[in-house]
Amino acid sequence: MIKKNRPKISTQFEINAIVFYANMVLFLPLVLVITYLFEIDKHLNINDFMFWTLIANFVILITGTIILAINRDRLRRKVKVTYKDEYFYLIFLFVFGLLGFVVIYDNMGGNRAYIANILIVLFAGLLYLAIFLGRRYFNLDYIKNR
Amino acid sequence: MKKRQVSDESLNRIIKYLAITLLIFGIILIAMQFSDFWNWILKAIKTAIVPVLLAYFTSLIVFPVIKYLEKKGVGPRGFSLGIVFVLTVAIIGAGFFYLIPKIVEEITNFFNRDFQTILTYLQTDLRDDFIFGTDIYDQVFTYITETDVLSSTLDSLIPNLINGLTNSLIPILSSIILLPILLIYYLLDYEVISEKIRSVVPQKQVKNAAELGSRLNQTVGAYLRGQVFLMVVLGIVATIVYRLIGLKYYLFFGVLVGVTNIIPYFGQIIAAVPPIIYTFIAQSGPGPITVLAVNLILQFIEGNIFQPLIIGHQLSMHPIVIIISILFFGSLFGAVGIIFASPLAASIRVVYNFYRERKHANEIDTKAEANTS
Repeated sequence: MIKKNRPKISTQFEINAIVFYANMVLFLPLVLVITYLFEIDKHLNINDFMFWTLIANFVILITGTIILAINRDRLRRKVKVTYKDEYFYLIFLFVFGLLGFVVIYDNMGGNRAYIANILIVLFAGLLYLAIFLGRRYFNLDYIKNR
Repeated sequence: MKKRQVSDESLNRIIKYLAITLLIFGIILIAMQFSDFWNWILKAIKTAIVPVLLAYFTSLIVFPVIKYLEKKGVGPRGFSLGIVFVLTVAIIGAGFFYLIPKIVEEITNFFNRDFQTILTYLQTDLRDDFIFGTDIYDQVFTYITETDVLSSTLDSLIPNLINGLTNSLIPILSSIILLPILLIYYLLDYEVISEKIRSVVPQKQVKNAAELGSRLNQTVGAYLRGQVFLMVVLGIVATIVYRLIGLKYYLFFGVLVGVTNIIPYFGQIIAAVPPIIYTFIAQSGPGPITVLAVNLILQFIEGNIFQPLIIGHQLSMHPIVIIISILFFGSLFGAVGIIFASPLAASIRVVYNFYRERKHANEIDTKAEANTS
């Protein structure tokens, strides 16, 4: 008999798609975090830099989507019990992406007094998303496992 | 009421343990008569064991990368080791090349601009902000000025500190120079050395020793790799967040968070105190509450998100065990002992668990043999 509420088994295709599109959404923040850390933002026009980064982001998005579509059948046949490494990578992306969003806010001339508040709100949102994705797709019940 | 009889087996066991305890005390008593000799021997062992332990721990971080390269067809061992070595030296060198001038600049700026403000605060405004009230501040201040306790303490503390630093400087420098040499030889002949160690073990115990060795390498290696990764990630995150909230000297404070993260529990407190005090006194940039909140969030992310994911649950030890191990190994090996207290405690736990498992398996085997005969 098939159990009710049995865990959904995700394929490698679904996981790769989640990780890739998360990467693409957070591409600009991630690049900006690196520029911010090495203070490259002080030496270049940040608006131009963001524009060219977005162009590169779009090109990578199209290329990646095509590669994903080509490998779809092969990846759909691949299944793992848990996707711990991929999940860890996603968390890593979220943490630096979160900082990247705040860097964008700072670069756009936002008031620095609100940065801590923005950080906390975004952190709570991304934490919820990470837990949800972990449970739903990566087969990692993060809170339960602790 | 009927008196409970002690069985012969229990009595024998009690006598055996008593005899062993007395024997140990006797040996300690005799050994204490030759304390100078033992100190001399222990010092020699400590001098030798610190670089060897450092090389072993570093090899646990580096060896998987070499193995990965070999799996991908990059060989022989010398070549893959060379690649890893050059890359490591390049990364560390680039890090120092970028970080050291900036940190030195921040420290110089601090002494040129803010140090005077802090001194003025301590001499004038601290009285009004003193948490226990101005009366107690006056009493403490009068005591300090009348008894000259501060200058006498500083007079004895500073020479002791310099003496301690010079004493530990030579072992630290020798360890730093010896580490790459030991590491190259160890990694080149990793399998041969493991085989040699295995050949020392009695034939009956070879299988157990091999399994224990593999478990130790796996557990402690995972811990160290995770800890180094956490140090880098937390250092980067702290630097970015400190810069975002507008904290001056964010690079210095961020690097401090990364470096001190190697000491569990105490490290984060050590890293959080200087920026909090600075923001409290400087009264420019973010407030101390914001800096405290940032540190608490960082601690939360580290403890609840990264640590379980990177280091795993199998190595999670009780905080009390970690704190005791820090105190114990810190007093035994100094700064190196504090840094490596957790992996050493983890190693002891692996050995203990392995011994218990073996004992349990042996008991089952004995029972099964008794049943069949």
